[in-house]
Amino acid sequence: MMRNIHFLIAVALLAALPAIESPFIQSMALTCLMFAGLAVSWSMFSGPTRYLSLATSAFFGLGAYCTAWGLGKLPWPAVVMLGGCAAVVFAFAIGLITLRLRGAYFAVITYGLGELVKHSITHVEKTWFGTVGRVMTETPSSATVYWTVLAIAALAVWTYVAFGRSRYGHALRGIGMDEERAATLGVNPMRVKLIGFCLSAWFAGALGAAMAVRWTYIDPHTVFNPFIVFQTVLISMVGGPLTIGGPLIGALAFSLLSEFLRLSLPYLYMIILGVLLIVSVLYLPDGIAGYDWKRLWEKITRRKAPEEKP
Amino acid sequence: MNFYLFIDLVVAGLVTGGIYAVVALGLNLQYGLMRIMNIAHGEFLMLGAYFTYALVKVTGASPLWFIPPMMVALFLLGLLLHRLIFRLLAATSPNAEAMEARSLIVGFGLMFIAQNVAQLIWGGGMSGQPYLDAPVTFGEVTVAANRLLVLVVVAAASLALVLVLKKTLLGKAVRGMLQAPLGAMLVGIDTRTLHPACFGLGLALAGLAGGLLSMVYELTPAMGEPYTISALIVITLGGLGNIPGAIAGAILLGLAETFGMYFTSPSMKILISYGVLVGVLLLRPKGLFAR
Amino acid sequence: MQEKFAKRRTTLKAALAVAWGLTFASGFALADEPTVKVGYTQSRSGPFAAGSQTTQEPNYLLWADHVNASGGLNVQGKKRKIELVGVDDRSDIETMVRTYEKFMTTDKVDLVLPPWGTGANFAVAPVANKHGYPMVAPTALSQKLVDMKLPYYFVTLQQPKPMMAALVDMLAANGVKTVVVTYMDDLFGLENIGALEPLLKEKNIQVLDKKSYPLGVKDLSPMLKGMKAANPDAFIGITYPPDNFLVTGQAKEIGFAPKIFYTAVGTAFPIYRERMGKASEGTMGMGSWNPKMSKAAKTYFDAHVALNKKEPDRWASAHAWAALEILQQTVEKVGLDRKAMRDHIAKTEFDTVLGKMKFNGTEEVGVPGMVGQWQNGEFEIVWPPARATAKAVMPKVWN
Repeated sequence: MMRNIHFLIAVALLAALPAIESPFIQSMALTCLMFAGLAVSWSMFSGPTRYLSLATSAFFGLGAYCTAWGLGKLPWPAVVMLGGCAAVVFAFAIGLITLRLRGAYFAVITYGLGELVKHSITHVEKTWFGTVGRVMTETPSSATVYWTVLAIAALAVWTYVAFGRSRYGHALRGIGMDEERAATLGVNPMRVKLIGFCLSAWFAGALGAAMAVRWTYIDPHTVFNPFIVFQTVLISMVGGPLTIGGPLIGALAFSLLSEFLRLSLPYLYMIILGVLLIVSVLYLPDGIAGYDWKRLWEKITRRKAPEEKP
Repeated sequence: MNFYLFIDLVVAGLVTGGIYAVVALGLNLQYGLMRIMNIAHGEFLMLGAYFTYALVKVTGASPLWFIPPMMVALFLLGLLLHRLIFRLLAATSPNAEAMEARSLIVGFGLMFIAQNVAQLIWGGGMSGQPYLDAPVTFGEVTVAANRLLVLVVVAAASLALVLVLKKTLLGKAVRGMLQAPLGAMLVGIDTRTLHPACFGLGLALAGLAGGLLSMVYELTPAMGEPYTISALIVITLGGLGNIPGAIAGAILLGLAETFGMYFTSPSMKILISYGVLVGVLLLRPKGLFAR
Repeated sequence: MQEKFAKRRTTLKAALAVAWGLTFASGFALADEPTVKVGYTQSRSGPFAAGSQTTQEPNYLLWADHVNASGGLNVQGKKRKIELVGVDDRSDIETMVRTYEKFMTTDKVDLVLPPWGTGANFAVAPVANKHGYPMVAPTALSQKLVDMKLPYYFVTLQQPKPMMAALVDMLAANGVKTVVVTYMDDLFGLENIGALEPLLKEKNIQVLDKKSYPLGVKDLSPMLKGMKAANPDAFIGITYPPDNFLVTGQAKEIGFAPKIFYTAVGTAFPIYRERMGKASEGTMGMGSWNPKMSKAAKTYFDAHVALNKKEPDRWASAHAWAALEILQQTVEKVGLDRKAMRDHIAKTEFDTVLGKMKFNGTEEVGVPGMVGQWQNGEFEIVWPPARATAKAVMPKVWN
């Protein structure tokens, strides 16, 4: 109950952010929220099942292209919904065939299918519409984009928690621990995995649809950029995908840190970021949120305590 | 299609496939033995290319002189990285899946570091020094000499590796580890020296590819990324941890791309290569040569 | 060695420029007049870095150096030092949008300079327009961008239409009857091909083969072999670096030598000449100047070599420099009032390194489309005749 209230207060505060009229803070928050949304949705499926999905860029790009096609023809909320749904349809189609694979095979094939979609869209656009990039001129205001992304991210957080508690969430964790055993206990692994995969795809697609209008012009290389999925996985893993705090802390830390380093150390920041990543993976194997900070704190205080005694 | 054009395309396909093979072999050793998903593998190719290029620029000598010392340097770098990072990572990962996922993040870190170090030293622009780019003709078949050289060297390197694995005791130990890591340890194979050595060997092979490519293509700090992706596709095609499978997968991919590009258009190249990957994985979920 | 050192120098120079900017910001300024803060992002890492570091950022650094050495930027008679605030945008569009928003709203810089590349300009131009910052861009190539008619946004580079018209006129004047065309699968490739095809039809030039290729292609020999078999009068490659190196190298390998060999962007880069060596001789491409063209061009060329330790490219670099000259002349006339600056830019004819420049809406219309050709190590302008610095050499031969 308390948690619900905290969550609502946080969303309300974030929703009030455009009132302070600082476009930079707003776009910084927008970046954080986008990655938070992506990381939470990724963790929803890949966290409990340990299926390393690299399809996020494909979902995101499909959503963005829905916006490019639908903007001006459909109202804004419908465009965003449509973006999410396109990603779900795609996730369903590839899920049927790829969710039989495990481990690195699954990672490589989801990445490959993403690239396949990117180049198929390039091909379709080129041969049927005679263009590759698309320009969007009548775009909604930046506050509207911000609120949309906030709403999607908040919905993702709520879904993560609710889904995790549902019997599907338990079934997914069962699959992550031992797929065969879960199957013998009466879970239909394929069905459960498909539901989880499609659910997580909706958020990535909707976020792509909402973010696309920020750039006026999109082409397959910007919206199907593999760095979108790389950063998403990185944030989720560094934060810890098994609790809701993990991807959120990861998104916040990663976005703020990389922006701070980029502006203050323009020539060294990527190197520092790289070192920090390696160190965090080595010493925080379950992510920032998965680490037992309480024990560390107790350790420190306990070690100090005897020193104070004469 | 006439006979010469056919041979032309076969040679072009083998050159592409050969490069894929050498990059993939290193990655396959690392993944097969240690479950390291080294997403920064292409970055070591890039470093190899830049080292070679820088030494050629300073001395003006043939790049071929600098490839062996550069490979040794990368091998040592591999030992160092294994000692500093991957040993600890392996010791603290509860299972293979955790190792894969965590090594992926380490790979991103290494990628950021390597690309930006290269950029600080050599700049973000393009550099390059073509070597042996005169055409060689056999009848009506024409290939650039450097591409032919690439083909010969990578074929020799791949063959050597396969022979070492097949014939020597050391190779048998490695193959044992590839098939059954725990069993290998039980029969007394020393993983503590073999693991770092194989990791270093992976880097050296990537460096070899980089050194060779520096004679053919322009260098940029991000040049390695596409090779990592191709290598991942190739080892998935051939079956993870399967060395001859990776070589066959690489050649298959190289030929499919070249012939596909000729009959359709270069734009179709990526559709073809991912089409092959998806098709193979659907029919043979554990790779072409799964036992 | 020279080249490698030069590149490092640029990076260090940029680092120094930033450090220097910071020192000034923290109150070390000796001059009485406040500095003029100029914000920009450039791609020092990622896929745009090669272009950005060849054609654009070196010019920004040179400009700040040059202006400050002469006492500062003339703001309606008062000299004020330029303080460059340049950051890396990682070739990421969202990062650019965010950083420019920061420059314009939080930092409230006096001027902004554009990022590198068409996609980047598409995203940043509306932001500049919204906040009322005039932006004069050298590296944006798209009719669609021009058609957006953003009042605060100007482009100095020639757009696809004039460039392709110059090419086709040159082909027709040299009796070309047949061509083969290859182009990259992106907006640049499609817009150029869209402009090119009707023009070829008009002049009754036949297209024997037309093929596209994707970004990051590594082998084009299968395609070139087919094109060689078609035996055309001219090869037209709507290419970007590094693909034009690949096309040139492989055309040489297979001995594909049509009368005219044309590759688009990056042909005018000095690295094209260094990389291809003698094979660069006779290749035509997009360009619009060389140091022989005028005294101003020679001065600019020498200054660029002196500071950046490398030659500027013979196309967009000078357009970047011209954009800075336009900005500088505008500030001298009307000061830093941005509305006044925009109006001044929109209606004035400027004297630049490339000659007279003036804008019709977004598009610059003073400098015509041109075709250049490498001849004895210099990128000579060979079309139109009014701008030519040398006669076109034909046919293309591989040495």
